[in-house]
Amino acid sequence: MKCRLCEKEAVTDLCGHHQSAKENLERAYPRWVKAYGGIEWKDYLDNVKRNVQTGRWAKEVAELLEGNT
Amino acid sequence: MSPQGGYTLVVCEKPDAAKRVADALSDGSARSFLESGMTAFRFVRGGEEFVVCSALGHLYGVSDPFRERTVYPVFDVEWYSNDLVGEDRSDAGRRVAAIRRLSAGASKFVNACDFDAEGETIGFNVLRYASGGKEGNALRAKFSTLTSEELVRAFADAKPQAGQGLAIAGRMRHLIDFVWGINLSRVLSQSAQLPGRRYATVSMGRVQGPTLGFLVQREREIRCFVPAPFWKISAAFEKDGKRLVADYHISKVGTRTEAELVRGDCLGKEGLVGSVRKTTVQVGAPAPFSVGDLQREAFRVFGLSPARTLQIAERLYLGALISYPRTGSQKLPPSIGYKSILQRLGGMGEYSDATREILTGGLRPVQGAKDDPAHPAIYPTGERPRGHLAKPEADIFDLVVRRFLAAFGQSARREQIAIRVSVGKHDFGIEGGRITYPGWTRYYGRYFWSKDSEVPQVAEGDRLKVLEVMVEEKFEQRPPRYSQGTLLEKMESERIGTKATRADIIATLVGRGYVQGDAMEATDLGFSVLETMEKYSPGIVTTELTRGIEQELEKIEEGKEGGKEVVRQTIRSLAAQLVELSEHEEELGREIGATVVPGKQEAIALGRCPVCKTGELRVVRSKKTKKRFVGCSNYASGCRASAPLPQRGTVKATGKQCPHCSWPIIVVYGGRFPWKLCVNPGCPAKGVKKREV
Repeated sequence: MKCRLCEKEAVTDLCGHHQSAKENLERAYPRWVKAYGGIEWKDYLDNVKRNVQTGRWAKEVAELLEGNT
Repeated sequence: MSPQGGYTLVVCEKPDAAKRVADALSDGSARSFLESGMTAFRFVRGGEEFVVCSALGHLYGVSDPFRERTVYPVFDVEWYSNDLVGEDRSDAGRRVAAIRRLSAGASKFVNACDFDAEGETIGFNVLRYASGGKEGNALRAKFSTLTSEELVRAFADAKPQAGQGLAIAGRMRHLIDFVWGINLSRVLSQSAQLPGRRYATVSMGRVQGPTLGFLVQREREIRCFVPAPFWKISAAFEKDGKRLVADYHISKVGTRTEAELVRGDCLGKEGLVGSVRKTTVQVGAPAPFSVGDLQREAFRVFGLSPARTLQIAERLYLGALISYPRTGSQKLPPSIGYKSILQRLGGMGEYSDATREILTGGLRPVQGAKDDPAHPAIYPTGERPRGHLAKPEADIFDLVVRRFLAAFGQSARREQIAIRVSVGKHDFGIEGGRITYPGWTRYYGRYFWSKDSEVPQVAEGDRLKVLEVMVEEKFEQRPPRYSQGTLLEKMESERIGTKATRADIIATLVGRGYVQGDAMEATDLGFSVLETMEKYSPGIVTTELTRGIEQELEKIEEGKEGGKEVVRQTIRSLAAQLVELSEHEEELGREIGATVVPGKQEAIALGRCPVCKTGELRVVRSKKTKKRFVGCSNYASGCRASAPLPQRGTVKATGKQCPHCSWPIIVVYGGRFPWKLCVNPGCPAKGVKKREV
């Protein structure tokens, strides 16, 4: 099965690269919640996606997850 | 003629070095002559006849006898002269023939190649293959500069080599690297060759693999990076009408609420100066240059790549302006003659003040920790450049001279101040400092950089009015990409590659399209090559394996181990990995093949075709003439847009269009400086320039 975001072989529904980026996104969310005293998952994804420091794969996954929510 | 009835044949590494040796030993009376098209020099010294000839770097290389690029594994390899192994070295054969002829009339041989593993290998191979087995009884002349005094001394002290450790280790390194590279590259290239597609070279070397690994790992971290927010708090205070800005003692405040709380607590309050701590620190001069230090510093101050710096430094060495640059040492022994070098440098206007000052004190240069048994740190010989040096040469020369001068300077002194201001329970700090005594920094000149700031005049117990509290939302920064300088540093700290090869390995990674840009970003091709190797043969790209081989080679250099066993072990380990890889050829092909062709196209796509407006202009190589040119991807659909290209250098797209004709602008690397040009031969701007001329 191919990754939902690229041509690489998928580990689950994503390839290893995008899966790592997804795990980073999930790990960082509680820090954002704490930092702002609460932030919705969708707003978080939107912010991360627009942040210049966010890595390319993390942005791609954020966009995918945003579409799913 | 010498007593044995023949002359002494001196073998140098490069033609420039041969001329310097001949001039030095003959006091300028040597006469040049042509032997089979190669220039050699003849003279008589102390009643003995000498002939000085030179190699041209490596005249011999390792190759497999069949050179069939689709065949692997290849373990049966031999040394051949470079003209026989397809290297672009048309005069290697002529040079070998010339040395062979000169050797026939010689009764004594002197190896005067550079004294390190590469130089030893070059000299060993020439004496063994071209001179007919003379490597064992040739004398060895060892020197670190090409100045006349040192060359005369080196030849007076020339002795038979006690051991051949360096040469054997050098030869083993070439052999292992060839076997390693040829087999892995063939597996990868074979696998990547999809049906109906042209052969594409995908290479992987012993040191190249782990080096690419550093870049890919960093790129993974960058691409997966998710920043977390934090807040930076600073407060502006007033003291005697002056504004002082202090930072909150916690540099990254983790929550917005906490940051706002600090602001609320401090606004409208007064700060109390709790402590004013002034300290003076000594800033010692930097260690003299090893080759890695020079490459990193030249990258920092001039932006020169490590490979380019080494190339320039070698030219300066051949011009007898600096000592041998491929050294790991950071030490300047007294035997180099500090005083004489400084006196001669004093004759050059720009260094006269510094040298005059230095010569009045005791001459004790700073010594670094690293040592190299073969050569001291890089230093200027004191010789004045003959004629005008081009800018990069002049820059590197000046940098080497100033680093040498700095080593003799006293420590600089820096006054530092740390002020703590409390606003209730919240602490703020002001830090500043300035150089109060320049010491060595004056000699290092423009290459020394210091962030000086004004030291505020406050005392303990002073009360300062809080003017403003600034709360700034910030985000964590993703890790930085490696530059060529920091990658070189990483290779050094991981102890992979040698001082002579690291810069070339970085250049190869760029050349193969595994990385792109000044900030070395791993490309899709770089990713797929490395990750496929990691998946199917993980051991082969590990730093540990490569470092282990380096350590074995070092033992050979020191004469602690024989070369054959190291080669045997390495080949055994490689063979096992090759078996694993060959079992997965199909998967390798699928995974690398997908990026090889698109990767290449990405690298040579120049931009949209201005003629058909739908195709893409690309760099294409003619099957017939093998020359490259620009063509449109819609050629098959009838678009005939094309343009010639320079045949030398590396062509890269700039992503910009010519403002006059809308054709792409490219940049060509390869000459002394990169140059940009519009690819359109009929560009109206070019016509204007010609008419103006």
